[in-house]
Amino acid sequence: MERSAVLTMRRAVLLLLLLFGAPWGSAGSQSVVLVVRTDSPVTDLDSVTVRKLFLGLPVLINGRPLHPIRNRADALLDQIFLQEIVAMSQTAYDRQTLTGLNRQGWLRPSEVDSGDAALGKVLADANAVTFVWQRDLAAHNEQVRVIRVLWSD
Amino acid sequence: MNSLRFRLIGVVLVINYALAPLLYLGVSVIVQRGYAELFVNSVRSFSRLTADELEAADDRDFEESAARLLDGAMLTGQIAFAEISDGKRKFHSSIPVDVTVIPRPDDFDFGDHGDQIYYISHSVKRGSRSMFLRLGFDERPTLESITAAKRRVLLAVLSFTLASILVSIWLSAVIARPMVRLREAAKRVAGGDVHTRLQMSSTIREVQDLTHHLESMRRELVGANERLASEIREREVSELKRLELERRLLHRERIAAIGTLAGGVAHEFNNILTPILLYSQLALKDTPADSARAKDLGRIVSAAHRARSLIMRILTFSRQTDSQGVTVFPLRSTVEEALALLRAIVPTNIEIVFDAQCEEIRLSGDPSLVHQVVINLGTNAYQAMQRTGGRLLVRLWVAPVRATPEAGTESSAILEVIDTGHGIEPAALAHIFEPFFTTRDVGEGTGLGLSVVHGIVTSMGGRISVESEVGRGATFRVHFPVAAPGALAAVVEGS
Repeated sequence: MERSAVLTMRRAVLLLLLLFGAPWGSAGSQSVVLVVRTDSPVTDLDSVTVRKLFLGLPVLINGRPLHPIRNRADALLDQIFLQEIVAMSQTAYDRQTLTGLNRQGWLRPSEVDSGDAALGKVLADANAVTFVWQRDLAAHNEQVRVIRVLWSD
Repeated sequence: MNSLRFRLIGVVLVINYALAPLLYLGVSVIVQRGYAELFVNSVRSFSRLTADELEAADDRDFEESAARLLDGAMLTGQIAFAEISDGKRKFHSSIPVDVTVIPRPDDFDFGDHGDQIYYISHSVKRGSRSMFLRLGFDERPTLESITAAKRRVLLAVLSFTLASILVSIWLSAVIARPMVRLREAAKRVAGGDVHTRLQMSSTIREVQDLTHHLESMRRELVGANERLASEIREREVSELKRLELERRLLHRERIAAIGTLAGGVAHEFNNILTPILLYSQLALKDTPADSARAKDLGRIVSAAHRARSLIMRILTFSRQTDSQGVTVFPLRSTVEEALALLRAIVPTNIEIVFDAQCEEIRLSGDPSLVHQVVINLGTNAYQAMQRTGGRLLVRLWVAPVRATPEAGTESSAILEVIDTGHGIEPAALAHIFEPFFTTRDVGEGTGLGLSVVHGIVTSMGGRISVESEVGRGATFRVHFPVAAPGALAAVVEGS
């Protein structure tokens, strides 16, 4: 009884997010992609490296560290990040990054609350790496480069 | 229902009924979230590792590697669906899957979609090829674990509730029992049984303190009550003494007033009587003895003598007579002499008993007055018994030495004259020492006998009292002050 009520509420929230929080829903297929600036030295990142990067571990390309930027534009994007990139829950992710920060001195990825902000940071930093909805790239096609598709519905 | 015990139990029940569901719900949510978190972390890690392995698989035998990987995943027993697709082809595990499972978009939270399968898909990049790994994890084992955990939580909450109710019943009994006993004991005390001790055996310090204070209060009340009762008794006794003293004072003042009046009148009569007696005696001398005039004069002289005797008795009562001489004399022998005279006039049906319970006692004064006191009291007694007969008891004893504020120590000789006659009416007792008061018929008595006794005793510094009940006789008690050892010398020097 109680469980079904909780599930119903979650479904309602997800539905609302899909309907109002995600206007791209009507555009058909949607994907989340990992991007860097066009002139970035990063050419390819395998899934393990991406995971390391967003867990705060230092990842060096040509001797320079990459700067991960966590895009928290919406709840679905957050869940995709947790499931596809770091493969853990938010609690576990927080614990992991804080442990890394305290024990190893790793830096937590910086966070932004919109796709434009994430792309802005990428455009400003050749070593920055972020993930965005593919539809958000329309205005920046020439300035950013997609390294890999992280998720597709 | 208003008792302490029921209230305590009621409060615990209310608290339990209010908090137990909240506790159960709260713990259930925590348990469910914990299991869900564990599940999500596990499946995300597993699927990620599988995808990473797939991504790193060798290109030459990729299909075989993919099939082996999917089989391995299926063999964990926790995966209901496993698939790899590259847009054109789909690879499945060689282990048959549940045909009812229909793949759908990804889950991002435990329990989404309600089909009890958690779907995750990962993109796998192999060179220029992109493919997707899709896994469906069975949520049922975790759901069953959650249900079992919730059941254990429910059991624990119910056990806790039951235990707290039992503890509250026991605790309420422990607290209420001594209070109930204390109340019963306090009721008995309030009902008048003030000697019921308020004591309880309780391990609760507050109850012990309360009992101790109540017992102290009871003792204080009992003590105050006894002090009050004692004070009331003392006041009643002093009030009776005061009334008695007041009565005596009034009586004495009345007797003194009567005595003064009677003494004054007696003096005047004595002055009038003196020439009558003198001249009638002179006239009698000059008259032949056998003449009729001599007889008349003799009657006048005789009557004058009787009048003088009466006047002397009145003067004696009013203490205006001249004493024959103050001396120290033995009381016992004086009383015996008077009784010897009395025996001569008392009828034989009256027994006279003299009981002297002391050695010879010496008084200071005129022995003839004491003689008169005994004769008058004896006469009064035998007249009360002369018709029926009886016993006249004369007792002589010495009262214990008592302290007086005026003279230090003083001892009294008590002379009691006790008869078994008809007794004296209570109304007459108050007037019995007044002159001319008599209960006898006219002509049978002058009413001066007891008033004369009163006057003599008072003049000797003593006092007289009477006790009587109608039909049971009367007791006259005379207190004479005993002469001090040096009194004889003082008397001799004075004389």
